[in-house]
Amino acid sequence: MLSPRTPWQVTRAVWHALFMREALARTTSNRMAWFWMLLEPIALVAMMVGIRSVISSGQHNIGGVHFIPWLICGLFSFFLFRENMIRSIGAVSAYKGLFSYRQVKPIDPVFIRCYLEGMLKSFIFMLFIIVGLLLEIDLFPAEPLEALFVWLLLWMLGLGAGLTLSVLSDLVPEIGKIINLTSMPLILISSVMIPLNYLPHQIQRYLILNPIVHGVESLRVCFFDSYRAINGISIVYLSIWALGLVSLGLLLHLRFAVRLKAQ
Amino acid sequence: MISIRNIYKRYHNHHGSDWVLKDISIDIPTGVSVGLLGRNGAGKSTLLRIIGGMDTPDRGEIIRDCSVSWPIGISGGFQGSMTGRQNVKFVARVHGSGKDIDRIINFVEEFAEIGKAFDEPVKTYSSGMRSRLSFGLSLAFDFDVFLSDEATSVGDRAFKEKATKAFKDRVGQAGLIIVSHAEAILKDLCQAGIWLDEGKAYWFDDINEAISAYHESTDKQTVKAK
Repeated sequence: MLSPRTPWQVTRAVWHALFMREALARTTSNRMAWFWMLLEPIALVAMMVGIRSVISSGQHNIGGVHFIPWLICGLFSFFLFRENMIRSIGAVSAYKGLFSYRQVKPIDPVFIRCYLEGMLKSFIFMLFIIVGLLLEIDLFPAEPLEALFVWLLLWMLGLGAGLTLSVLSDLVPEIGKIINLTSMPLILISSVMIPLNYLPHQIQRYLILNPIVHGVESLRVCFFDSYRAINGISIVYLSIWALGLVSLGLLLHLRFAVRLKAQ
Repeated sequence: MISIRNIYKRYHNHHGSDWVLKDISIDIPTGVSVGLLGRNGAGKSTLLRIIGGMDTPDRGEIIRDCSVSWPIGISGGFQGSMTGRQNVKFVARVHGSGKDIDRIINFVEEFAEIGKAFDEPVKTYSSGMRSRLSFGLSLAFDFDVFLSDEATSVGDRAFKEKATKAFKDRVGQAGLIIVSHAEAILKDLCQAGIWLDEGKAYWFDDINEAISAYHESTDKQTVKAK
């Protein structure tokens, strides 16, 4: 007979199985998946740098920092959040077929996707930092530990949004579509490409409520010694959002576990 | 032993929702093969799914003191984009097989006899190939109790023979809970029976008694209809 296992052992086995499956799917899904994984962020950064240098017309510093490392930092932190959120939305429906094994819960693929996404993004960001060091671009964090902490918080914010939205978008499919639509304009108001203080003062008050802004700007503060962030940036505010969203997501998963598994 | 304690289950639809299973309490000992009987819609498959943990009851609980399989030959259970081998590997990992994974993969590959298709995505399979794979996968594990929903009716003639034989070998060592309308199979494989009728479950120590109780009830209904 199969020996009885503790719940924790079962969960670990499921996570291991899902991780192997997901990692394999990500790296072998199409030809040169590895290559694209690297090229995509490089191309994106190059494109943004191109756009930025056309608009800014000679003004190369933002808040006392050269705009290329500033942009790289912002793009990576934003995409860490966004990819976590977007990939989680599809996670539950992608594994519907495997929920027939009672060991697999709808929350497991969400965890695994966010974990894998975090690892991949961290790895590629680290590659960028190393190449930056070699090219003598100032892309090494001035406060490495704090930077790591903010990076983790941003990941958690994405995980929280992913957990919450994976339930909601499965119960109400329209929500997933709306999120996909709004996630692109989100890059414009999250201080990723355009600093918030370039925008009209009346709307700044509202844009500062966006937790992503706090994450992006905090990370830059940790990276660049001389960076002058906009006023009112707080790691505590970001942490509260991250914890709040993760808790809400866990609650929703607990409440609707049966309904997510059915169908 | 599988203990079913005061289980209620209903599905919500637009015409109100009657209880499919209503206050069912049964203990199923390990090592005994049980046939589930009842007319269509009586809740046989629902009860089997609840025992397997694929569905949750609205009230009541299930206590499993032994390892229970998923229903053999379920139509889901595979992910289309993964190959047969990857699916088998996944299920083996979920069940914490550790070093046994290679043995399980070899067993399924041999048993299913689908050749090179074993390394093709499952979505390209025909329904027969699919059920061969899922049948082999179920038998690769040493469960204490196997669940089966009309599983022996899959595949072509040669495979059916092989499946029935493997099935019987397994039943010798483990318990079986089977839903089937083929009474010959039930008489062949099972000792005890459960008859489901109007949300209630009745236990019979002898499968033949369960079958005759089921027959009597349907006969009465046809008489009434006349």
